[in-house]
Amino acid sequence: MTPVLQRKVCMLGGFSVGKTSLVKRYVQSIFSETYLTTVGVKIDKKTVDLSDRSVTLILWDLAGEDDINTFRMTNMRGAAGYVLVADGTRPSTLDVALSLRQRVDAENGPLPFVLLLNKSDLKEQWAIGDAKMEELRQSGLWVQPSSARTGEGVEDAFKELAIRASS
Amino acid sequence: MSTSPDILEGLLRAPSGDDAIDRKALAKLLVEIAESLKPELRAERNGVLPNDLQLEQLRSLLVGREIETLSRLTGVVDDPERLAAVIGRILPTAIAQATSDERMGHVLAPVMEKAAESSIRNDPATLVNILYPTIVPAIRKSIGETIDATLQRLNQTLKYSLTLRGLKWRWEAWRTGSSFAEVALKHTLIYQVEHVFLVHRHTGLLIAHVAAENAVSQDPQLVSSMLIAIQDFVRDSFSGAEHQGVDSVRLGELRLWSEPGPFALLVAVIRGDPPEALHETLRNTLSRIHAERHHALENFNGDSEGLGDVDARLRELVALGEHAPPRVGLARMVIWGLVLLLLLLAGTWAVWWWNNQQLWADYLERLRAQPGIVITEAGKRDGKFVVSGLRDPLAVDPQAVLREAGVNPAWVVASWLPYQSLDPQMVLKRLDATLKPPPTVTLEIAGNRIVARGSAPRAWIEEARAIAQSLPAGAPSFDVAGVANADEAEEQRQQAEEQRRQAEERQWQAYVARLRDEPGIVVTQSEVRDGKFILSGLRDPLAIDPLSLLGEAGIDPARVEAQFDPYQGLDPQFVLKRLEASLNPPPSVTLKVDGDRIVAQGEASSPWIVRARRVGNSLPAGAPVLDVSSVRDISEGALGKLRDAIQARSINFDSGKSLPSAGQEQVLDEVARDLNELVKLSSTLHAVTRMTLTGHADSQGQGTSNLSLSMARAEAVRALLKKRGVDPDLLQVRGAGQLEPVADDTPAAAAAARSANRRVSFSIGFEEEP
Repeated sequence: MTPVLQRKVCMLGGFSVGKTSLVKRYVQSIFSETYLTTVGVKIDKKTVDLSDRSVTLILWDLAGEDDINTFRMTNMRGAAGYVLVADGTRPSTLDVALSLRQRVDAENGPLPFVLLLNKSDLKEQWAIGDAKMEELRQSGLWVQPSSARTGEGVEDAFKELAIRASS
Repeated sequence: MSTSPDILEGLLRAPSGDDAIDRKALAKLLVEIAESLKPELRAERNGVLPNDLQLEQLRSLLVGREIETLSRLTGVVDDPERLAAVIGRILPTAIAQATSDERMGHVLAPVMEKAAESSIRNDPATLVNILYPTIVPAIRKSIGETIDATLQRLNQTLKYSLTLRGLKWRWEAWRTGSSFAEVALKHTLIYQVEHVFLVHRHTGLLIAHVAAENAVSQDPQLVSSMLIAIQDFVRDSFSGAEHQGVDSVRLGELRLWSEPGPFALLVAVIRGDPPEALHETLRNTLSRIHAERHHALENFNGDSEGLGDVDARLRELVALGEHAPPRVGLARMVIWGLVLLLLLLAGTWAVWWWNNQQLWADYLERLRAQPGIVITEAGKRDGKFVVSGLRDPLAVDPQAVLREAGVNPAWVVASWLPYQSLDPQMVLKRLDATLKPPPTVTLEIAGNRIVARGSAPRAWIEEARAIAQSLPAGAPSFDVAGVANADEAEEQRQQAEEQRRQAEERQWQAYVARLRDEPGIVVTQSEVRDGKFILSGLRDPLAIDPLSLLGEAGIDPARVEAQFDPYQGLDPQFVLKRLEASLNPPPSVTLKVDGDRIVAQGEASSPWIVRARRVGNSLPAGAPVLDVSSVRDISEGALGKLRDAIQARSINFDSGKSLPSAGQEQVLDEVARDLNELVKLSSTLHAVTRMTLTGHADSQGQGTSNLSLSMARAEAVRALLKKRGVDPDLLQVRGAGQLEPVADDTPAAAAAARSANRRVSFSIGFEEEP
């Protein structure tokens, strides 16, 4: 009944970076999006099959806010990792994501995470240069452009996070 | 173990100026004891010289630094203050490291207790201040739950204490030894624990989840995390303390109770109205899980391996709620009961009404099917069934049909006018009623006819025929031809009997006529009564026996009762007969009727003739006359001659002699011969000849002697005659003595005369044959 392996994973990101739509198509969910605006949290589930194990990621989709100070860190408690989401067409969201990461690190210690630069399908508005991406990768981050519409990067991100969080 | 004397001495040195005990002596004593217990000690000690200088130098060379350190440490150890300072520096670290050791708790517990005790004794306020923030909510919560539970129990107790069910529960409580509240609780819980989640508090991950069989839920993993998220949300939103959370959520009839543990949160989703005591149950379960799986829970990181058997604990909780029977509230039950009752009543009424309609329809149907009943109107009026029509008085009673159909007579108003039905069945009934046919007759309907069959008395048949002819036009005809006359045999028998009786009568009359014709029989009464022939009258004994004629007439003598009184008939024939019987005429005489006379003819002895005349004279007046004149006397013929011849003779005797005188034999012979002949002859004429021998004597001699002489002379003759073949019985002797002389026998008379008187004379008489 209960899967052998579960991991709490949080979805973090600035306002309107597309976290919710990102997970929408790729996860199991029973709760409506109104939870995000009422409770501030919406729980989803994503089971990732690895070669030797199956990991169920319990995704805490946290309400995105640009003001990171209002972010409720209590929701991060007990998380085994997180997905940082930024809007690739709005560089400011990347900053928000990175500062969120810093906050998380400060409060919970370093945790595995993946960084998704979302809305990769909007090529024309894309504002994160390759250099920046490279820079981020160089700094040891697992970073990946993603698109809720095309599904680019989403499965990879979850798989990578599952590996990292369950190892 | 080695011990240097210095150390020993040092150890033995008195810490202060206390000289009360000789320590040195004591030490030596101890050393000696030690040596005596362990001999090798002595060798070791003897091997080392106490004041070996070289050895001392070597020692300082080899272990000088250690000695210095040791002395420094000794100094620290010896000085309690310094020692306390040193230990005080490391104590928190040491305790922190020793926390994992279970003994730590044991060791510290008494100290802590003592410290707490002393602290409270010194100033209770300090501890109260410390505990207040935690203990007060706990107490408040506990008290609240207890009060809730108590109130609930009180409610239940009051609710059920006086009901039948309450009494039943009290009985059960007494029987099982549990409290009434427990029993009441058990029976009245209206809840079901549908889900139990065990959620890791820290991560919000689901450790275990058990659901009741009938419960539906969303993905428990998501639900459990969401529960934690909501708890966090509430806590964050309303600044709750870290360990406080939402412990009760209610949504409709669903309740969500959560019990927080150190590492895991137990969440029960309950449908219905759980008792407050369930909190306790949940807490107990959670505590047990924590006690059993403390480490696994503490180190839980999403890997539920090793926590599999927690499910069993949770299942107990789910099972706990399952056995609670659902119960409807009393008021609702009453309402439902009333509604049900109303429905039931309405249903019953409807069924009853419908049933009555059916019964009524059935009744009318039955009535219509009845001959002799014509329904002209049927319906309902004023809630009653109304029926009216015509009814033949002989038709079935509508009331009876009513009862048969099961309709309540009180609901029916009926009015019937009488009429005569020409329906064959009714006609049949009427015939049945009026004719009252005997059981041997059956009346049945054949087409438009009523046919009577069987057999009946003639009278009935005739009556039936009369009625058949008087049936009204249009009515079925009544056919009586099929009824045999039951009296026929009887009639025939009676006829035969009558004939037989008449024949008998005729026979009887013939018999009686014949009897009347019989002389000497007078029939005064003859009748036939009860099959017997009764006959009475007069009968001359000489007449024919009437019974002897019965056989001839063919009449059974046994059936005849005859009584005849005897009488003398004056009929000539009877007189003749009677005369024949009384006179007994000899064969030589015939009697016969001649006109109104009876004439005797032939010959007979004179006595008979005399007798006959006498009898003839004595016949009653009116009877025929007996005429004997034509009967001749036999003694006047041959018999008379022989008689006279004999009588003319006599036998003579000499005087005084009793034997005949000589010369008398010839006379005797002649007399004997004639007499025998006379006897023979008379017997042919049915007469008996008798002869009397009379002896005589003469007057000479005495009278008496003469009598006996005469007697002797008669006897002598008799003997002599007997000798000569005469039947002596015919001879009678008598002595006449001297009294019957034939000649004068006086003494003056001649001798010859006297001689004539000495004799035996003969006298002949005829008698009728006996």
